[in-house]
Amino acid sequence: MLIAIFALLLVSVVAIALIISSGTDSALAGNYRSSANAYYAAMAGLEEGRGRLLPTNGNCIQIPVNGNCNQQPILLLPLNQVFYIINPAPGEVVAPEATGNPATYPDLQYKQEFGVDVSTRAVTKVPSISAMAGLPGSNFKWVRINAFTEQAMGNGGPGVDVDWNGTIDSTIPLFYNPVNQPAGLIVQTIRPPTAMQALEITSLAVLPGGTQKMLQYIVRPLEVYSSSQLPRFTAALTLAGSNVQFTGPGNNNFYIRGQDQCPGSVLMAPAIGFTSDPVSDPSYANIVAGAIPASNYQGAPMNPGPPSAPSTAPASIQGVASPSNPSGMPLGSNWMTPGGLDAVVQDITAGADAIIQGPATPASFPPGMSPTHPMTIVVNGDLDLGSWNNTGYGLLLVTGTLYYDPAATWEGIVLVIGQGNFVSTRHGAGGIDGAVFLAKTRDASNNLLTSLGSASFSQTGGGPSLGKGINYNTCLVNNVQGPITYKVLGFKEIPLLN
Amino acid sequence: MSGRQTGTQGFTVLELMVASAVFLVLCGTMFELLELSQKKYTNESQLSGAFQETRLAIDQITRDFNVAGYPSSGVYSNVPPDSSQYAVGPVAWDPNYAVTTCYVAGAGGGTPCTTPGDFDLIVETNVGNGVSWIRYQLIGTTLYRSVVPKTAGADPMATTSAPNVMVPFLTNVMNNAAAQIPQIVADYPAMFPGGAQPIFKYTCDTAAGPQPCALAGNSGIATNIRDVDITLIVMTRQRDMQTQRLELVELTGRGHRVNPD
Repeated sequence: MLIAIFALLLVSVVAIALIISSGTDSALAGNYRSSANAYYAAMAGLEEGRGRLLPTNGNCIQIPVNGNCNQQPILLLPLNQVFYIINPAPGEVVAPEATGNPATYPDLQYKQEFGVDVSTRAVTKVPSISAMAGLPGSNFKWVRINAFTEQAMGNGGPGVDVDWNGTIDSTIPLFYNPVNQPAGLIVQTIRPPTAMQALEITSLAVLPGGTQKMLQYIVRPLEVYSSSQLPRFTAALTLAGSNVQFTGPGNNNFYIRGQDQCPGSVLMAPAIGFTSDPVSDPSYANIVAGAIPASNYQGAPMNPGPPSAPSTAPASIQGVASPSNPSGMPLGSNWMTPGGLDAVVQDITAGADAIIQGPATPASFPPGMSPTHPMTIVVNGDLDLGSWNNTGYGLLLVTGTLYYDPAATWEGIVLVIGQGNFVSTRHGAGGIDGAVFLAKTRDASNNLLTSLGSASFSQTGGGPSLGKGINYNTCLVNNVQGPITYKVLGFKEIPLLN
Repeated sequence: MSGRQTGTQGFTVLELMVASAVFLVLCGTMFELLELSQKKYTNESQLSGAFQETRLAIDQITRDFNVAGYPSSGVYSNVPPDSSQYAVGPVAWDPNYAVTTCYVAGAGGGTPCTTPGDFDLIVETNVGNGVSWIRYQLIGTTLYRSVVPKTAGADPMATTSAPNVMVPFLTNVMNNAAAQIPQIVADYPAMFPGGAQPIFKYTCDTAAGPQPCALAGNSGIATNIRDVDITLIVMTRQRDMQTQRLELVELTGRGHRVNPD
């Protein structure tokens, strides 16, 4: 008996040692796994918040309350308004504004940033879409979207003096001005028209085991053409660069009209805009020589006041580069340099709905384009719209040559930036409504040029109809102008208080 | 009255000898098993410790790099003249910080970086008390970590390697252990192909998308680093007590910086 007990004791000691060893291993692996899971769950929350700020998102969050998703860059989200996306587990209550209840995932971080309890703010809560389609969602509990200040950027510590004026402001919502020198966040109650509101997105993830992570984005809307002041494109067709080429069909079957086709609008833009000096550079002369018959190129300066009747070429062909041009609305400076336009291309590409490698045809276009769901499509290379008897909506960016077929219609913005070639040799009943912009930023080897090259527009179709031509339309331009993405200006992990 | 008592039975000598022999055999077996389990436990504890330390190290490096570059100069509409107020890039570099860029891992044709390098990384970010330089440097078999406030105009390498600044962060790191690698390869021929294994491998942003910095040409500069792959090979302090082979833990991680998008 004694022997048996002794043997059992020894065996037990061995077994316990082995259990302890394996248990430690499991705990170590589990702790790391929980930490990583919480991090990615919080990231999922941030991305849901960032995505739902976009007007093209089917679950777009209307900011401000009762606002219009499409108007987000224009409207101001005040500091006293806070949005939450909440994502409770089944049977769980998530109420971040109930800061006195630790069971409902209170948002104590807000007070660190703003000095006041979030329960004193106007709080709007919307449910998360992460668990749609019957699939379990991510483990983030809430995502906060709000305006923020210099003081708030410190997350409880010293703020960030974004305008470096020696004062950390705690009352003025920060805006981002992309055309400031340098571009960055500004603290101004009267803001320039190019400024757009920056937002703060904060996400809290809590795993069932209790592991928590809080991450934060600072984002700013990215528009194709940064301006809250209309119009964003100052001609129906803009040819940027030097020695640009313009070839028209030379008959009555093709039009370019600067009269704004947006219902109710009295705006009128030049039919064709150019950016080079009309005296020292042949661009203006080249365009005038190709704009025949002159009566088919209609338009006029939009300032001051609406003109009584449209002018025809050459008066409808105007320089759009200088503040002293008749329109009074110069093209943005970054739209007149290869580097600036290259950045525009990269930004658009980063926020595109579809990126297609050229040479391409419309067969590669994504499905689902509609007037209410315009898309951003980027073609890296040539695009041939031949025999596409269809209509596209949104922003079309082609970095090679665009072979346009007037049988096709495009409603929105057409950018041909890169090789800057627009070629049309056919006829049809379609047209382009919105605005067209051409610029040659790269040479034949795809190297970035030091200055804009010779962009080329050619419409030589000889059939009975060349369609509706190009018609300036601010409604369609603006419809595409909602932010194409929210760029991340800052990302950080916040030490948790709760 | 004398004589053997009846009704009580003792053990015979033979019985006692047999019982003792069985007891000794069982005890011997048990102690052998116990010794075996103790060795196993010691080995597993060492491996477990190395695993824990390595995992924590990778987790810390990853977290530091994920938030690298905050706040970037891009948030300022009036960039402070004092560059300690913002991060010039996700990492600080040497030589010529922050005047001229250097090329990572031999990319491009310009000045090669001393840091960031295979065994040296200086993250630049604000973790709550202003912008700091966080350096990870492997010296011998010890990975050191230092955190110092960023100073405008200062050399990040010199600042982060000042006395009493760098502290041991992870020991027995074998990634560049010239003396130990031949022994390790003798036990594990598949390890260390081509010699020392970099702790840090970098991916850079290029016009054609992310590429290994070494292949990124003129885009392979420190400010273009987007991702860092981390590999740590850590050896336990003692050999396996049973097999006498070296014991190692090799873990990998990946940091992805977001600032700025």
